Amino acid sequence: MQQKSGLGQYLYQSFASMKLSVFIFLTLAACSLVGTLLPQGTTQHELHTRYSPGVARIIDTLGLNDLYHTTWFRLLLVLLTVNLVVCTLRRLPKTLRQLSQRDESITPDKLTKFAYHCEIRSPLPRDQVEAKVTSIISHNFGTLRRSDHSEAFAGIVEVGRWSRWMVYVVHLSVLLVLVGALIGSLLGFRGYMNIVEGGASRDVRLYRGNNTVTLPFEVRCNSFQVSFYDTGAPKEYRSDLTIVDDGKDALTRSIIVNDPLSYAGVTLYQSSYGAVLKRAQVEFRNTDTGKSSTLTLQFGEAAVIPDTTDRVQMVDYQKNMGQFGPAVGIALVREGEQPKGSWILVNLPQFHGNKIQNYQIQVLKTEDGYYTGLQVKKDPGVWVVYTGFMAMLVGIGMTFYTSHRKLWVWADTANPGKNSTRILMAGKTSKNPVAFEREFNELRERLENDLKSRVT
Amino acid sequence: MNSSLLLSITTFAYLVCAIFYLSGVIFRHRPLLIAGGFAGLGTLLIQTAGILLRWKESYDLGYGHAPLSNLYESLVFAAWAIMLIYLIFEYKTKQHAMGVFPSIFSFLAMAYASFSTQIDSKIQPLVPALKSNWLIAHVVACFLGYAAFAVAAGVSVLYLARKASPANPHPKGMLALIPESRQLDEFNYQLILFGFLWLSLGIITGSVWANSAWGSYWSWDPKETWSLITWLIYAALLHSRSVQGWRGRKVAWLSLVGFVCVLFTYFGVNFLLSGLHSYATQ
Repeated sequence: MQQKSGLGQYLYQSFASMKLSVFIFLTLAACSLVGTLLPQGTTQHELHTRYSPGVARIIDTLGLNDLYHTTWFRLLLVLLTVNLVVCTLRRLPKTLRQLSQRDESITPDKLTKFAYHCEIRSPLPRDQVEAKVTSIISHNFGTLRRSDHSEAFAGIVEVGRWSRWMVYVVHLSVLLVLVGALIGSLLGFRGYMNIVEGGASRDVRLYRGNNTVTLPFEVRCNSFQVSFYDTGAPKEYRSDLTIVDDGKDALTRSIIVNDPLSYAGVTLYQSSYGAVLKRAQVEFRNTDTGKSSTLTLQFGEAAVIPDTTDRVQMVDYQKNMGQFGPAVGIALVREGEQPKGSWILVNLPQFHGNKIQNYQIQVLKTEDGYYTGLQVKKDPGVWVVYTGFMAMLVGIGMTFYTSHRKLWVWADTANPGKNSTRILMAGKTSKNPVAFEREFNELRERLENDLKSRVT
Repeated sequence: MNSSLLLSITTFAYLVCAIFYLSGVIFRHRPLLIAGGFAGLGTLLIQTAGILLRWKESYDLGYGHAPLSNLYESLVFAAWAIMLIYLIFEYKTKQHAMGVFPSIFSFLAMAYASFSTQIDSKIQPLVPALKSNWLIAHVVACFLGYAAFAVAAGVSVLYLARKASPANPHPKGMLALIPESRQLDEFNYQLILFGFLWLSLGIITGSVWANSAWGSYWSWDPKETWSLITWLIYAALLHSRSVQGWRGRKVAWLSLVGFVCVLFTYFGVNFLLSGLHSYATQ
């Protein structure tokens, strides 16, 4: 054998080994375990404050703080896939051979070598024995196929042939799940968007990396409600959303936790919420001229103070600033100058800091609202994964409940005398020998009773 | 009559059941084992009534959810599932001496649920995340899997005990009524295959549920990851039977390692690691 094919053969043998499969399973289990003990998704900064420099370096080098997304963990999954495919391909010819051997020649000597076999003697003539055996076996096990024999009666019964395929179904299902996950990670995204009631957005901030995805449509939050049980525990979070596609309202629906909305392959989930300032009535008094003007400011939208070119905007809000109560962050933009800003305390109108440049500012009225936190996801691989899930359940279920079982029977007229007919029965099963043994013995007893006397 | 009375009776009845089985094995007295089986069946019926009554009580309180929503309710269900699977197993195999461990496990689960001061047995309303039809399917599938693994772990211990004594096909003493090791190995395999099916179903329903609730069918949450670890261990076990010379003792040990993983998935993750399943600790 040539050197090259020798190596190829060696690699193929290694990948095809069931020991390698067991080893990969246990290694994956051990690595996953490490990932549950160390906090995942920690930043460089957290890493260095929490651990000593040496430990932090090890964690950082091996990527243990983001273990499940590291190259080496993914390589383990690739190794599992290769092993799975090679093992399966290697097993296939054997299965095909087992299933193609339909008509094996039967001889009495062969039958007595099986793990499950028995011999029964009957006083009945052969043709009666034949009829009885055929009916009992066909009724209790499966249809008996006769094989041609001049001097004896011989037959084979086979049930659950297809159960040999179930292991392939399970292996294919694992492959589908892994491929589906790969499709999802290559072509999909996962992120979130926060939308204030009445507001709309099409930008999704991604969880991984610092990127934003722009949706091909706009999501508007019409309203958000949260309700509570008497105990104070939250009962329901509900967002009323409208999808605006091409400037038109395409779809309006409420979503709650466990009931998301899907549009154009993108799914929106209720995930969090928070309180925001929706609008406020604010009085601006020019300390130079003494002139006051009252404006209703929408959160985040700029407004112009009448008779001036000064633009003001509410940019921030805190429900409780220190111990001074609610505070509104207001910015003032004057042409040709840097924007100036200040916190205006709502409950303390006399506070000396409630001013920006020459404006004394007082918040007269505030109106709170909510923003809804939506999780946004696109995953074109999910149906591949689900197909894998279904195949896995069918495969494992069938593996549990079925097995490939075969029975051989033989009847001939041995020595002339009282029990002149000899019946031999042998059986084989692909799994669950204990149950098969019971089935085999029950069948034997039934045959013995019906064919009367017994020798062995 | 209320559910907590029925469940208190259940706790003590499981103790009685365990004592029957244990003394049956110790004194090599088959009738005691049979009595253990009947005690187990009776207890299971009382417990079933208790669980159904608690379900009804939750509707009376206006919450209306299946009693599978927190640690207390899951422990009660675990005890129920272990006894159910064991009794079916006993009925199908006609072997009565393997009930020692399942009945002790059921008793311990009930005792922990009833007597631990950290576990609140009050019926609580469901948090929004748990309001889904997937809840019943997911919890039932997971716990049937766990229960099958618990019974298998008991069988594995018996297998190892049986193997530890020198090659004697008919041992005297406490092992006299225990089936022979070849059968124990096969029972272990059957139970694990059964548990594996339910664990797979549990992980899959959880995964589909997570996808419909928060948009990700897999997010490496500690509970998820630990259930995968458990799944991998049992997958390794099922495959290792095909490796030459790996039947028997190695499989029994892997079955015990798998059960330790089940316990950690169930308890360890709740108490030591934080994640999406935090509501399971209360």
